[in-house]
Amino acid sequence: MKDILRLSLPLTIWLVSFSAIYGLHGVLCQFDWSGLSGPFGMLWGRLVLVAAWAVAVVLQAMTLVVLLTPRFGGPPGFMRSTTLTLAIVALVAAAWTMFPVAVLSLCL
Amino acid sequence: MTDLPDLSSPTPRRAEALRLHRKLTPIWSARPGLRGVLTTNNNNLVGGIFLAAATLFFVIGGILAMLIRAQLATPGSAFMGPEAYNQVFTMHGTVMMFLFAIPFFEALAVLLLPSMLGTRDMAFPRIGAYGLWVYIFGGSAVILAMLLGLSPDGGWFMYPPLSSAAFSPGIGPDVWLLGISSIEVSAIAAAIEVVVTVLRYRASGMSLSRMPIFAWYILIVAVMILTAFPAMILGSLLLELERAFGLPFFQADNGGDPLLWQHLFWLFGHPEVYIIFLPAAGMMATILPVMARTKLLGYGWVVAAAVSLAVLSFGLWVHHMFTTGIPHLALAFFSAASTLVAVPTAIMIFSWIGTLWKGRPTFDLPMLWILGFFATFVIGGLTGVMLALVPFNWQAHDTHFVVAHLHYVLIGGYVFPMVAAIYYFQPVIIGRTRFFKIGEVAFWITVPAFHVTFLAVHLVGLMGMRRRIWTYDEGQGWTVINLIASVGAFVMAFGFALVILDVVVNALVAPRSRRNPWKAFTLEWATSMPSPMYGFASIPVVHGRYPLEMDPGLPVSIARGEGLLADTSRNRRETLVVSTTDGTPAQVAILPGNSWLPFTLAVVTSTSFLAPLVGAYMLAVAATTGIVVVALIWAWTQGSRTDEGLIDVGHGLRLPTAWEVPDPPGWWGLLMLLLADSVLFGSLLFGYAFLWTIAPNWPPPSYLNPGLAMPALALVGAAALVAGPRLAARAVLRQGRAWGGIGLAGLGALALAGAAASVWLLRPNPTGHAYDATLWVLAGFVLLHTTIAVIMIGYLLARVIAGYLSPRRVGEARIVQLWADYTALTSLVALGAAWLPGAFP
Repeated sequence: MKDILRLSLPLTIWLVSFSAIYGLHGVLCQFDWSGLSGPFGMLWGRLVLVAAWAVAVVLQAMTLVVLLTPRFGGPPGFMRSTTLTLAIVALVAAAWTMFPVAVLSLCL
Repeated sequence: MTDLPDLSSPTPRRAEALRLHRKLTPIWSARPGLRGVLTTNNNNLVGGIFLAAATLFFVIGGILAMLIRAQLATPGSAFMGPEAYNQVFTMHGTVMMFLFAIPFFEALAVLLLPSMLGTRDMAFPRIGAYGLWVYIFGGSAVILAMLLGLSPDGGWFMYPPLSSAAFSPGIGPDVWLLGISSIEVSAIAAAIEVVVTVLRYRASGMSLSRMPIFAWYILIVAVMILTAFPAMILGSLLLELERAFGLPFFQADNGGDPLLWQHLFWLFGHPEVYIIFLPAAGMMATILPVMARTKLLGYGWVVAAAVSLAVLSFGLWVHHMFTTGIPHLALAFFSAASTLVAVPTAIMIFSWIGTLWKGRPTFDLPMLWILGFFATFVIGGLTGVMLALVPFNWQAHDTHFVVAHLHYVLIGGYVFPMVAAIYYFQPVIIGRTRFFKIGEVAFWITVPAFHVTFLAVHLVGLMGMRRRIWTYDEGQGWTVINLIASVGAFVMAFGFALVILDVVVNALVAPRSRRNPWKAFTLEWATSMPSPMYGFASIPVVHGRYPLEMDPGLPVSIARGEGLLADTSRNRRETLVVSTTDGTPAQVAILPGNSWLPFTLAVVTSTSFLAPLVGAYMLAVAATTGIVVVALIWAWTQGSRTDEGLIDVGHGLRLPTAWEVPDPPGWWGLLMLLLADSVLFGSLLFGYAFLWTIAPNWPPPSYLNPGLAMPALALVGAAALVAGPRLAARAVLRQGRAWGGIGLAGLGALALAGAAASVWLLRPNPTGHAYDATLWVLAGFVLLHTTIAVIMIGYLLARVIAGYLSPRRVGEARIVQLWADYTALTSLVALGAAWLPGAFP
């Protein structure tokens, strides 16, 4: 069962991060917090969303690193290699699907 | 953990195949006649009836499609009026999506999965039979409503406010909401059965890496059903509560929001597309290598791609809502995720192309349909990428371009591979080899006609024809294209009719099939054709992914009883339960025999769903009580009053029965049910948060102030509910008295129920604002779960008194403990969500 949980973990983390950032964006826009000026001439909304994206990417990278270790990655073989493949997929997914927070208008 | 038995050693029981067949057949067979049909739970019969019912619904959906094309064939057609047309297109989508597509692959899974995995039946045969009858009753009710002119007419996704009571006052939407929800209960039952079967019911030595590729696909799909359907069930419940009792979840004037329905629907609806596609892809990955006389290229990559596709598909739901005014940044998330799913899909496609490339393909009939899939699905996938791009989507939204795209994906990506699967597995299912060659004619009629039809529909969509319009004017330039599409559709329907005719004729009069006519390497071809009721005379021991290649003599040795569990002296249905990852034998499952219970439970379940349609609320209440009674009788008939100890499974291996282990299959089944339940609960919390942040007319006029007493009662109750079953289980293990723990658990559940009931009492009007309506549903969730907990605790007490529990037989206590833990946790979260805004206004 541990193998199944390991297999499910990376993309589940992506799904949670993705949903959380979507929800965070909704909250920022609904309560007009996105337009508040922050440091470096940036809006607070942008800073918060980019920071959340960075956290999500770092989390996925850490998951990959942890799964690479023998202690948490499980014994070598099919399940381990598939889990690592999925951890890489999840890292790419986190970088790609949340990338818009850095470039698009916030609440238009 | 037990080592794998060595089959090369002399075996004490070399049973002769025929003698074993004669002994196993009466143990596993159904009763004769109609009584046998209604009481069977054997996967061969249940799967066969499932398949026949799904095919019948496909024919009904197809007839509805022909009515649509007849109407649109000419401008200004008087064939149907708008009222009838709205019902017809709504029912076409509903029947095809809910009554055909999902049940059809579930039927194939029930039929084939045990043979593929090297086990004798599904994990929960009675639940499989129950799901079948609920599906048949629910589907029949929906079709009957249509014949009476009472069907829904708001489109297969039932958007409010159109489907709200104000704009759809009849019972059509209620037929949809209650009928389809009951069918989704059936789908969830089947999914639980599939997950536990794949994870635990396999041949000895069949590790996860040695599973047939279809088992991976169907496992992934079953988990998707458990995590996607609950959002839809919740949405249906909320809409029905609004329609029947005025709880304003989707009414903007009272703090609701129609967009909440769209979110809940598409949280289910988009994964649904992949729930339909992935089983077909599993069939592709199974059939194509055999037809190409090679092995699947990149097995591990395909598994990773299927998992990726499944999870990524849960991040796409908003791409059905691009035109609803959601901010551009949010649209970009879902557009990016939508483009990303093309990558794992492409990995699968390239795996199949590579398999063809390295093999020596033969062009038998299944292969023709596979080639039809390639030609069609790739086009559907590419138009999907087009629709994933927001600017294009805005132009094409709700046009016939979308209709054409979804038919390319669903017919090309699902129906064609399923036809290939029917032809490929025909020897296993009906034991006949094809004799009449109607199928080839049918293929060359159906696939070209499909492309004529839906290429035309693409074009007319790009020219601006909107979907769901009942007619159009002559001067709009769509006349010839629509006529071509309609002619193509009728030809395609003729082709599908020929496929059904071909299968039926061959089933009736074609010669018997020899074993393994395709020379495949997997276990479903190791039995006689058709697969006997008991599946395998003895449970095979496998050493690789392709057991029949490694040991061509395996079918004979299985039939002679040289595998495991060949001893029939216990005269009961036994099969092997293995460890999840490496397939090491772990337990012996004792499967239930023929019974009226699944049929009876399906009758009361369907009555509880359908009685409110005709205003028979008391009947619905009585039926709900009936569910509890039948479920308790069902559970009571399981288990044993005596310890059996380790039993001999052959080759010197001795294992406990599943009644004498701490993690019986029932515990796993409940775990899967709780996964689905937790998604429903999470969707409810999402809906609450969505209304809070997005819906107009918030905050509500006032908040619920819980005070201190009710939160304290809930905390104490949850603690008692968690501690009680543990104390009871410990007492059973030590042969002490379990009453104290059971009593504590019961009091804990009642305390939690009391805290939840206070929410209803303090906010007596749930119809004023969506906030109050949500509080009622949150408290109702807690009350439902605590009520079930009380029933389970009472049942556990009765089982202890009756002697069904012992230090060896503690599994039932652990099942109750799992439910109690879940109830305590979710109740605290639900009540916390209800109370926090008022506690800290």
